[in-house]
Amino acid sequence: MKESLVRRQTVLLTLLLIIVVSLSGCVGGAPRATSWPGLAFVADKLYVADIANLQVLGAEDANSVWSFPTDTKNDNRGTFQVTPVVTDEYVIAASEMPRTGFFSQPTYVVWAVDRETGRDVWSFSEASGTYVEGGAVSDGTVVIGNSDGYVYALDLESGALQWKFETGHRVWASPLIDSGVVFVGSMDRHLYALSLADGHVIWDFNAGGAFAGTPVLQDGILFIGAFNDTFYALDADTGQVQWSIPGENWFWGGPVVHDDTVYAADVNGNVYALDAASGAIIWQQTLDSQVRATPAISEDGTLLLVGGENGSLYALAAEDGFTVWVDESEGQVLTTPVVDGSVVYEVLTYGTYRVRALRIENGREIWAYPPQTES
Amino acid sequence: MFNFIAYPLANLLLVLYNLLGQNTVVAITVLTVLINAVLLPLTLRQQKSSRRMQELQPELEKLQKKYAKDKERLAQEQMKLYKENGANPMAGCLPLLIQMPIWFGLYRAIIFCIPSTPLDVFQFSGHIYKWLPGVQGLVPLQSSFLGMDLGMPPGMPQWWSYALPVLVFATSWLQQKLISPPQASTGSGEPSQAGMMSQQMQIMMPLMFMFFTLQWATGLSIYFIVSNAIRIGQYYLVPATRPGAAQTATPAARNTKS
Repeated sequence: MKESLVRRQTVLLTLLLIIVVSLSGCVGGAPRATSWPGLAFVADKLYVADIANLQVLGAEDANSVWSFPTDTKNDNRGTFQVTPVVTDEYVIAASEMPRTGFFSQPTYVVWAVDRETGRDVWSFSEASGTYVEGGAVSDGTVVIGNSDGYVYALDLESGALQWKFETGHRVWASPLIDSGVVFVGSMDRHLYALSLADGHVIWDFNAGGAFAGTPVLQDGILFIGAFNDTFYALDADTGQVQWSIPGENWFWGGPVVHDDTVYAADVNGNVYALDAASGAIIWQQTLDSQVRATPAISEDGTLLLVGGENGSLYALAAEDGFTVWVDESEGQVLTTPVVDGSVVYEVLTYGTYRVRALRIENGREIWAYPPQTES
Repeated sequence: MFNFIAYPLANLLLVLYNLLGQNTVVAITVLTVLINAVLLPLTLRQQKSSRRMQELQPELEKLQKKYAKDKERLAQEQMKLYKENGANPMAGCLPLLIQMPIWFGLYRAIIFCIPSTPLDVFQFSGHIYKWLPGVQGLVPLQSSFLGMDLGMPPGMPQWWSYALPVLVFATSWLQQKLISPPQASTGSGEPSQAGMMSQQMQIMMPLMFMFFTLQWATGLSIYFIVSNAIRIGQYYLVPATRPGAAQTATPAARNTKS
């Protein structure tokens, strides 16, 4: 009787152990979102990095042009969540390949995919952390930050590592490249200006708060917000602060600049229109949602489009911040919307529909992808 | 699910980080000491209850033999024994049930402050108590410790990061061994059922914690190691909490009418 009791206890403890191990995530399963999807628009095509693959859709009708990989069940290339960079020949994307054993590690890969055929040309897998935002391409070099704290510069044609620069924390921001200088923020609270040629530091600016957004450069001034609830205008040559204004919370996404006005949003949902020269607030509008993404602006500069964590896309009049329309959908709009003429495209995190095209004048839906079958 | 605990803990971690020279390991260590201090009455109660149940074990086994064929009567007699000795078989579980959400909450707090994924840190962005002094701009906390990333599970190429789960196992095992009551014997020299169960727990619990820490952020390993060290220190510094301390005053035999 005692033996059977001991056996029963052992079985129970083993079951408990299996449950614990399963819950702690060491048993494989479907990839889950740890970030937001990536979205890019070039020449009538949408490039969507949405977990399972990198997909190219026709912008007019959402017809699939190609996807990488084509067969996700038999050709697992990992989880795609990084905004693709589209060049003349390639689409530069990044993914996280799942680990294959208990003690193995995930592999983090930058892919160069042929823009016409959707076949991979080269890959780079030396980084040891997740890629969160996409890279930037200039002068035959791809520059991309990684959660392992490094900024990597790769040869566009071969994927060969040209240089890497170590920061003090994760690099979740996409870089900006201008005139041979890479401007990139790090979670180590610094914004770095690096030489595109060899990665040496030209200047760095310590804000006292992490940088996760991409700066915008206009007339020699860099505009960027930080996690210390402050928005900055910096001299692009020296990193000197020209002006700064406080927000109510972190500035995660970057700003958008049109004419002499800088538009930025903090994560509390405060949208600011600032005078580019002085930083004076022209108007401020508070949305009923958190905001992560960089706002977008219509081509004529009259409408500001802001994605909300509550699934809404807000269209604000650029002149005074007045709400022109609000489109509500299931999921979260954490990725920067893209504008092409009279259409705005959004990609959703956790939504049934992943990509939607809306008329910019009134927010009316043109199409939603994937199409839902009627039950 | 445990975010209602995680948000205050994460903010407390931010304050400690700011006050303690912006050192993440020191901040987690001090937070662990504070949590253990708050949970001390529960811990002592759990140990006391466990000790009381252990003391009643010989009597319970006698009852099991005596009423082996009458389950209903056995249950009645067991309840009577518990009542007469002021013992409650569930009392040892309650403190553990209260501690579990705090562990999960602390895990979430570490994930919020040393984030490995953007969605985690974005979730926390709306829950920072801005009125607390010095918390502005602190997230994410410095995540590097001895070349390891405190926000990530142990892994290569930092092979030495696997030392933390091993340390969690070693300290958990030692702590379990110290706080487990001495094994009662059945009279025939064989270990009692409770003793065998206790022996299994001494291995299985540390193994479980080691599996946890192999999968979770290494920052949580710091919490487990410091927690275990506190319990081990408590064993040596507070003799009253030792399992054998009350063995001399077993009331079971006095009160039980078998």
